[in-house]
Amino acid sequence: MGLVKYIARRLIILIPELWIITIIVFTLIQLSPGTFLDQYRLDPSISRETLQAMEKQLGLDKPAVVQYFYWLGKLVRFDFGYSFYYRRPVIDLIGERLLGTFVLSLYSFVISWIVGVVLGIVSALKKYTATDKILTVIAFSGLALPGFFLALVLLYMAARTGWFPIGGLYSPETAKMDVWSAFKDIFWRLQLPAFTLTFGSFAGLMRYQRGSLLDVMNEDYVEFARAKGMPERVVIYRHALRNAINPLITIFGASLADLLSGAVITETIFSWPGLGRLTYQALLQKDYYVVMASTVISTVLLVIGNLIGDILLAAVDPRIRYE
Amino acid sequence: MRKVLVTLFLSLLVISSFAAYLGEDATGKKGGTLTVGTLSGPRTLNDTVSKETSSSDVITMFMGYGGTLVEMDENGKFFPAIAEKWDGPRLTKDGGMEIIWYLRKGVKWSDGQPFDADDVVFTLNDIYTNPDIPSSFKDILESTNGYLPKATKINDYTVRVYYAEPFRLAFRYVGGMYIFPKHIAEPWVKNKKFAEFWTVDSINKKEIVGLGPFIPVEYVPDQYVRFTANPNYWKKDKEGKQLPYLNEYIYKIISSQDAMKLAFENGEIDIYSPRGTEFSYFKENEKKFNINVLSYGPAFGTEFITFNWNNKDEAKREWFRNVHFRKAVAYAMDKKKIIDTLYNGLAIEQWSPVSMASPYYNEKVVVKYPYDLNKARAELKLGGFKWDKNGKLLDSEGRPVKFIIETNAGNKTREGIGNILTAALKQLGMDITFVPGDFNTMINRMLNVGDWDAIIIGLTGSDEPQGGNNVWAIDGSLHFWNLSPEVADWVDPKTYKVPEFEKQIDKIFKENVRILDDNVVKDYWAQNQKITSENIPLIYTVNTLRLYAWRNTLKNVKIGLLQGTLWNADWLYKE
Repeated sequence: MGLVKYIARRLIILIPELWIITIIVFTLIQLSPGTFLDQYRLDPSISRETLQAMEKQLGLDKPAVVQYFYWLGKLVRFDFGYSFYYRRPVIDLIGERLLGTFVLSLYSFVISWIVGVVLGIVSALKKYTATDKILTVIAFSGLALPGFFLALVLLYMAARTGWFPIGGLYSPETAKMDVWSAFKDIFWRLQLPAFTLTFGSFAGLMRYQRGSLLDVMNEDYVEFARAKGMPERVVIYRHALRNAINPLITIFGASLADLLSGAVITETIFSWPGLGRLTYQALLQKDYYVVMASTVISTVLLVIGNLIGDILLAAVDPRIRYE
Repeated sequence: MRKVLVTLFLSLLVISSFAAYLGEDATGKKGGTLTVGTLSGPRTLNDTVSKETSSSDVITMFMGYGGTLVEMDENGKFFPAIAEKWDGPRLTKDGGMEIIWYLRKGVKWSDGQPFDADDVVFTLNDIYTNPDIPSSFKDILESTNGYLPKATKINDYTVRVYYAEPFRLAFRYVGGMYIFPKHIAEPWVKNKKFAEFWTVDSINKKEIVGLGPFIPVEYVPDQYVRFTANPNYWKKDKEGKQLPYLNEYIYKIISSQDAMKLAFENGEIDIYSPRGTEFSYFKENEKKFNINVLSYGPAFGTEFITFNWNNKDEAKREWFRNVHFRKAVAYAMDKKKIIDTLYNGLAIEQWSPVSMASPYYNEKVVVKYPYDLNKARAELKLGGFKWDKNGKLLDSEGRPVKFIIETNAGNKTREGIGNILTAALKQLGMDITFVPGDFNTMINRMLNVGDWDAIIIGLTGSDEPQGGNNVWAIDGSLHFWNLSPEVADWVDPKTYKVPEFEKQIDKIFKENVRILDDNVVKDYWAQNQKITSENIPLIYTVNTLRLYAWRNTLKNVKIGLLQGTLWNADWLYKE
């Protein structure tokens, strides 16, 4: 009962939180120089009258506050507004790219967590051995290597060997395949961008896992368990690991928000149809209802992710109670 | 020499081609898919909303080519398309002008509905000249005094287009207008929702109907647009085979330039526009990749430096309005160095406001300012400038010449031009700070705030010099250097002045379009080029060359003065 109340309270707090964040984002967009129409101002073929007519058509002639409340009024009815550029509902634009984003981030998310946690444990248990050192070098190169560079190297390799296509999720050929071949094709196309994302993110997790396990391994209760004569396997997996996992669960919750925020650079280099590219373009072109929508989605996910993290933490750690 | 060649070529073309339409004497094989890459996908399929090439490249496939009244070949000659022939443009008794278009009979839209005069009349009267539908095409259609054309149906296959005053460009623009299917578009116009007509999702809803060669049938966001041949396209080749030759056309969205290059090398796309730095690499590997690589004529885009004649600082106003000062800057612009270091040699010096590819370009009258710092110094002396004992340049009242040159950061060539020019101007004793900054901020300050000295920037252009009206007219909204106080409220009407030469240029832009005799029009533009190059309000840099690469399996490619690889997509074929 206590937990339900806790969740309800957290979700209610989400509303003012979201409201304040939208105000901040909207203000920032308004303060940043230029408007959507600026990209047309340097076109000799567009007259001032046409620009004014467009301004009116898009509602950009009204004061910023009016624009904001107009947008907010729609948001309450789950309408994210229209994109200036596409003249389509923002929700459709996001919907079209949701699957591509989700497939890529979920896949690399799962792999980097599995790889990161497992290697972190291995690294901690074999601390200061050659294995640990090799893993550490790999982890640091993962942290140090810029994503765009790795992506370009992979793309170049794909072009030279012909093992992978040059980016993209679907091709016109995919559409003509049967379900199983199409699945295999998409899975194949997923590998390079997923590898780029995974290589950049597993390393951090691995270092966290290693550090927190090493901390715990020095605690008295681990010594005590060993002294009781418990087998080392039980000491590690039942006692040490359960205590070492807490900080990772917090990170896990926070990183859920990344699932739908997209990865601009990786998406751009691999021509991946994701939300990152959409939002980035919208930001450049000041297509700001698209930017607002993507901010709202990220915020909601961040709050929900944190909430899930907290609930998991309570489930794992008997010391935590939400009453 | 170049001019002679062009003229010779054009006259040869006139003699040799009696084709009734483009593609009439084409030969080729049916079938095949052409895949073209693009950095970003279409935003809309509605021509009145579309503002960027990624959208217009898609629109032209189902509305352009044989779908317009007339069609232009690779060298700028017009051919009949959906209009079989025409009378005019000619003057009418009331001082206006008319063109009578005779439409091809038996043409069908891609959905099988018959096409006739109603579609043309509807498009011109209810869409492009509709006050509720803003579009850049509407601006283009406006004659000197702001008149818009009016279409009337004479019979099912004859349309009269009337202007209240003579307008030279009517033929070109009305003739090239995209025609909307009345049976589909009319309800959207009536419901005042035309801006939402034909958004990109209408492709998958199979709502796109056109007269052009390829109809978009499948759209995967950020991945590709797939077109299939229009089953009702009216053109036939030499042997009577229906065009287009290609079955499918794929517009593949590859969001990074590096991936695009690799995709071309790997054969995933058939056409590529190499960057200047890649050109020699592809040229050397023509055989290896089985491709053709070609550079051709100058592109239309311009890059130039312009000064703010209405600067808040009185001294700067005086320098920038001083023609000798501007000539000195022009002599300090090392175009050869710009071409060699920034464009890998793939560019041409630009001296005239009219594009070299335009039939109105006239090299004889253009004044040139080849790089020469001594001449620059001489001009500065003529302009009343002098040097102090440290070599610093002072104006006639002893004020040191010091100002800021800006450009948008991230544009490597503009940054390079800025560095080269700044170095030269410093040698002349000017105190210059060169600042690359954010594009949007710069444009806003340039047009709406006015707190700038000099800016290096570029504009798009075309073979038709009148396209620069918004730049050259005294009250033009892009008349950067000397914006009228009526356009920009930051300009102080008390210090605002319009020199005589600007009035002359303005007059040329207003009057030339009222003249239907092309030879007289040529004289007007010769005069314009002479005045402009003598007074250089904009100091041009260089024009890039247009660079093309395409796979050898693609046949019938004809690159010309004005057009590239795709202008005849309806009779390209794959081997």
